[in-house]
Amino acid sequence: MDSEINSKTNLQDILNTLEVDRKKIAETYQTSYILFGLALVILLVGLFIRFVALGIIGCLVPLIIGIVMYFRIDDDAKKYKLTYKTSIVGAALKDINDTLAITPQSGLPEYEFISSELFTIRPDRYKTQDLISGIADKTSFWFAEVHAEYKTETRTKNGTRTEWHTIFKGIIFVADFNKNFEVSTVVRPKSFGDSIGAWFSKNVFSFGNTEVVQLENIDFDNKFVTYSRNQIEARYILTPAMMERILDLNRKSDDTISISFIHSKMYIAFPLSHNYFEPPIHSSLLVPDLLTYDLSIVQFMQDIVHELDLNTRIWGKE
Amino acid sequence: MIVILGLIVFLLIVGIVIYNSLIGKRNQVTNAFSAIDVMLKKRFDLIPNLVEVVKQYTNYEQSTLTKIVELRAKATSGTLTDEEKASLDTELSSAVKGLMVTVENYPDLKANTNFLNLQTTWTESEEQIAAARRTYNAVVTDYNNAIMMFPSNMFAGMLSYTKIDVLETPEEERKNISAKELFNN
Repeated sequence: MDSEINSKTNLQDILNTLEVDRKKIAETYQTSYILFGLALVILLVGLFIRFVALGIIGCLVPLIIGIVMYFRIDDDAKKYKLTYKTSIVGAALKDINDTLAITPQSGLPEYEFISSELFTIRPDRYKTQDLISGIADKTSFWFAEVHAEYKTETRTKNGTRTEWHTIFKGIIFVADFNKNFEVSTVVRPKSFGDSIGAWFSKNVFSFGNTEVVQLENIDFDNKFVTYSRNQIEARYILTPAMMERILDLNRKSDDTISISFIHSKMYIAFPLSHNYFEPPIHSSLLVPDLLTYDLSIVQFMQDIVHELDLNTRIWGKE
Repeated sequence: MIVILGLIVFLLIVGIVIYNSLIGKRNQVTNAFSAIDVMLKKRFDLIPNLVEVVKQYTNYEQSTLTKIVELRAKATSGTLTDEEKASLDTELSSAVKGLMVTVENYPDLKANTNFLNLQTTWTESEEQIAAARRTYNAVVTDYNNAIMMFPSNMFAGMLSYTKIDVLETPEEERKNISAKELFNN
């Protein structure tokens, strides 16, 4: 009990110190934005009164000071974010589950993103952060924020134009699966193209080794397309009860989720646009519901283990 | 002339595709059934061990054990049709399930590692058989659709392919088998 009170007091101390840092950072950002604005005004005035040289020289002073201030405080802002995540978020996670831990600079490695087979396009640019890992009863799980993009290059009159397209942005959840399996099974949202592809592969030809698995749960089959090289194993994993649980889980997510069962693990991709676990910069840290939103997503991720019944370990896998 | 020739070639290709897909679907049915068969064999092999372990601890469940042994002997005698084998397995499965429930009365047996391993393997095979049966039913439905729908039904008539019945799924297999249900009855 004492230690709990102590840790709460410590946490409050850290929050107070961070709040001072936050104010300093926010003020510096504001000052640099004002300086950028001032530079623009001087330039415009210079152009207006036809003293272009004066305008350019005059605007350089606030512009340079602004840039220096902006980049110098950027390092402090990074440090502030890191301390917030490790100390504040890290401590709050322990309230949900003692085994939970955050590693802000780690994430889901790119090779794992590719080998998860959740998405068919290989990313050209890949960002990941805020790895949270823990154990719920018998099942270890972890999740991280991921932003994967691919690029397209089109030739124009002025050279080549590169455009970036998002493959996936959101959270990828990984858990140790409770059944043994040999080959991968992938469940992807059903799009119009997938429906046509699935129809062709079932009725006309089989494309490659991956086959479409037609499952008897009509709701599930309408929402998802399931691919596997082993029809029986896919059904061993996707039992009628498991399909219902996945549908329930999907109802809680705004966009349709993708799931893969591979290398003895289960991957779930939740498309989300919000960037979680980031501290506020222009608003106070000392508000009671500071972490409520972020912690709700952690609780949601942990609950998946129970919802999908991953702790039932009666199928020969400890 | 070219149009007619093109039409003939097109119809020929369509015919070949339909014919091949029908044969493919029929083979998938055979394949799916043999998968169930392999899994059933695997499960039948577990029974002697299971009976042996249970025997050491219990004196009162002789009738259940005898029934299980008899069913197993019948199932592996080799004189049964596939359908009979499948239905015998359902019976056997419910007998073993009954045995698992009575294990509750024998704490020593419940703690035996050998027994626990067998129990895990049993539930695993139970789930695998359920998956194999569902696969069989899916490919049978696919095959039945093909032989009843136009135009593939014309070829089915020529090949004298007839409708195949799907396997009845026992009520228990519709649910996920959980340890709680096995032991808390």
